[in-house]
Amino acid sequence: MSLNRDTIASLCLIMACGGLMFVSLDIREPDYGVLSPATWPRLIIVIMAILSTIYFVQSIRLPRSKTPVAPRLSFTEFVLYWRNVLIVFFVFAIYLMVLPYLGMLVGNILFSLVLLTALGGFKPFIMHIMVAFGTSGGMWLLFIYGLDVILPRGSLTGF
Amino acid sequence: MMETFLLALFNILDITTLTFMVIGVGAGLLAGSVPGFTIAMAIVLTLPFTFSMPPAQGLATMISVLVGGLSGGLMSGILTGIPGTPSSVATTFDGFPMARRGEPGLALGIGVWSSFCGGIISAILLVLFAPQLARIGLEFQPWDFFMLVMFALTVTASLAGSNLVKGLLAGAAGLFVRTIGEDDAVGVARFSFGSDYLLSGFDFIAVLIGLFAFSQLLSDLRDPVAARKSLSDQKQVKVRIEHRRAIGILIKNWSVVIKSAFIGMFTGILPGAGGSIANILAYDQAKKSAKDNSQFGKGDPRGIIAPEASNNAVEGGALTPLMALGIPGDITAAIMLGALLMHDIVPGPTFISDEPVLSYSIFIAFFLANFIMLALQSGVLRIFVQVTRIKTYVLATGILTFATIGVFALHNSTEDILTLFFFGILGFAMRQFGFPIAPMILGVVLGDIAELNLARALAINADPMLFITRPWSLFFTIIALFSMLFPIYQNQRDKGTLLAKLYAPFMLLALSVPLFMMGGNVRPILAVIAIATGGFILWRRFQSNASPS
Repeated sequence: MSLNRDTIASLCLIMACGGLMFVSLDIREPDYGVLSPATWPRLIIVIMAILSTIYFVQSIRLPRSKTPVAPRLSFTEFVLYWRNVLIVFFVFAIYLMVLPYLGMLVGNILFSLVLLTALGGFKPFIMHIMVAFGTSGGMWLLFIYGLDVILPRGSLTGF
Repeated sequence: MMETFLLALFNILDITTLTFMVIGVGAGLLAGSVPGFTIAMAIVLTLPFTFSMPPAQGLATMISVLVGGLSGGLMSGILTGIPGTPSSVATTFDGFPMARRGEPGLALGIGVWSSFCGGIISAILLVLFAPQLARIGLEFQPWDFFMLVMFALTVTASLAGSNLVKGLLAGAAGLFVRTIGEDDAVGVARFSFGSDYLLSGFDFIAVLIGLFAFSQLLSDLRDPVAARKSLSDQKQVKVRIEHRRAIGILIKNWSVVIKSAFIGMFTGILPGAGGSIANILAYDQAKKSAKDNSQFGKGDPRGIIAPEASNNAVEGGALTPLMALGIPGDITAAIMLGALLMHDIVPGPTFISDEPVLSYSIFIAFFLANFIMLALQSGVLRIFVQVTRIKTYVLATGILTFATIGVFALHNSTEDILTLFFFGILGFAMRQFGFPIAPMILGVVLGDIAELNLARALAINADPMLFITRPWSLFFTIIALFSMLFPIYQNQRDKGTLLAKLYAPFMLLALSVPLFMMGGNVRPILAVIAIATGGFILWRRFQSNASPS
């Protein structure tokens, strides 16, 4: 049996289905209504479990030559390979955390600026500042004044 | 009827709506022209904008983005050889060679006018077919609707990727996502883990934007070298679209235009089969049916007409089952369904009769958007050249910022931004593991409809056999089963195995059973035709096998 990417993914899915089925036992069964609130999700979980098992069987039966081989990367190589994706995850997560303090306008300008600089380097920094202010500021104005949407104000910045 | 039409016309000809439509077509043209930024992404990003608009205005804006997007792909395809969207892949086969031999203006002209004709033909067919299909849809009971959703999911799963199991898993995952939170019928918490955020359920628009736009942007940014590059470094392109010559060529090849538009329309009606399939099919048909096809691939005008007429006709097809049955024909129609649901409008067989003004507004907007597209194409061409010079990471960051504000604006909730982030990561992981996104999106959009109809069906009659013994349910079950076998059939078709030989005739013979069960006059005749055709194909295949080679 060859343990490839699909095999690992299918095993994770089977375990997830088991976990979800277990959690579905906690769904309260009311005395009224024809269809129990747990029936439909359980039906989907069963179908997903069956499909995940087929996926697992497919993955182990796949000839070695056809298995999707992910290059074996060291930690540094892994970080370098996924650098940009990790940067977006990280910057976005920070943005979500500071949003209540900075508000949408300042938060978005900083988010754009940091992301642009992290992805594009320091060289075109002036251009990044202009893009960050232009896009975030422009959209803020559009939503606030054009579409009458109330965007969150920061507890530290006040706007 | 005239009064309804006039009301709808006033809705659309309102100056605000017209302005949004012009902006929408322009944005769609640009989005479609930039490789990596798909039409579906453009539509999904338009959703938050339309939230605060009246339904007709919001839908008109989205239709404009859609029509613009379908036509935008031809610009980059013809001028750079890189198709802007998957639905204009075949346009590059002849469009780019024609541009390289010194006729980019003519190539663009043929593309623009073919798109326009395809769009108008499909708009006419939409107006004609949607009410007829809705009339058939009135026969559907909850069992039939439930099976129709299952059919839409299986067809999408079988067409969306190379692995059917992954497609079905994605569809099931989409259905599951909609079960998280409070149950609509009895208000019981499901999979909330004690969290208020999960109890309120995921906002499906945030889910769609995350799954589609966020994950696509992550994929575009993955390669650090490519992310710092722009599509094109050309400073200026001086192209004048040659309208008059292009119209002359189109008139000469009118049969290709009509045939391709019909191919597009039919492909659009099938759930899951969108412009990416239609343009290749139409190109292939145009090439096969041409008396002299030696110039195909070298700049033959018919090689531009066929894909462009078909890919613009797709949306008329995709909107037909959406307006008539409430089932989207493709991913963009699924997002449109999301827009309708956002405004508490649930499309179904009674949609056209219950919401006549809105239905007519959609029809009129679809027509009008094609004219706006025609008028804007030359102007957008100049902006397109500028946009292609922007580096990918700058574009991606701008879109990400826009998506974030847009998602927040849906309910003034930062939790929706968290949903966007989470489903962006999930979508990206799915792409990396080869799972198609389209079935999951369809699952998310149709999840509630499926559960509602399952509950209704069981409330009327608890017998589960009704899901396969009622004529329409059986009809959809048979198509769903055969659609699941379709990838196997495709694999074995060239090998000439028994399964490949029996696939089409058996499907026709099987479909004749529910057609007979439906009764009436026309359907039994269709059943007899299906049996005769199936029998004939079977006889031909076995006869050609028996005859010595």
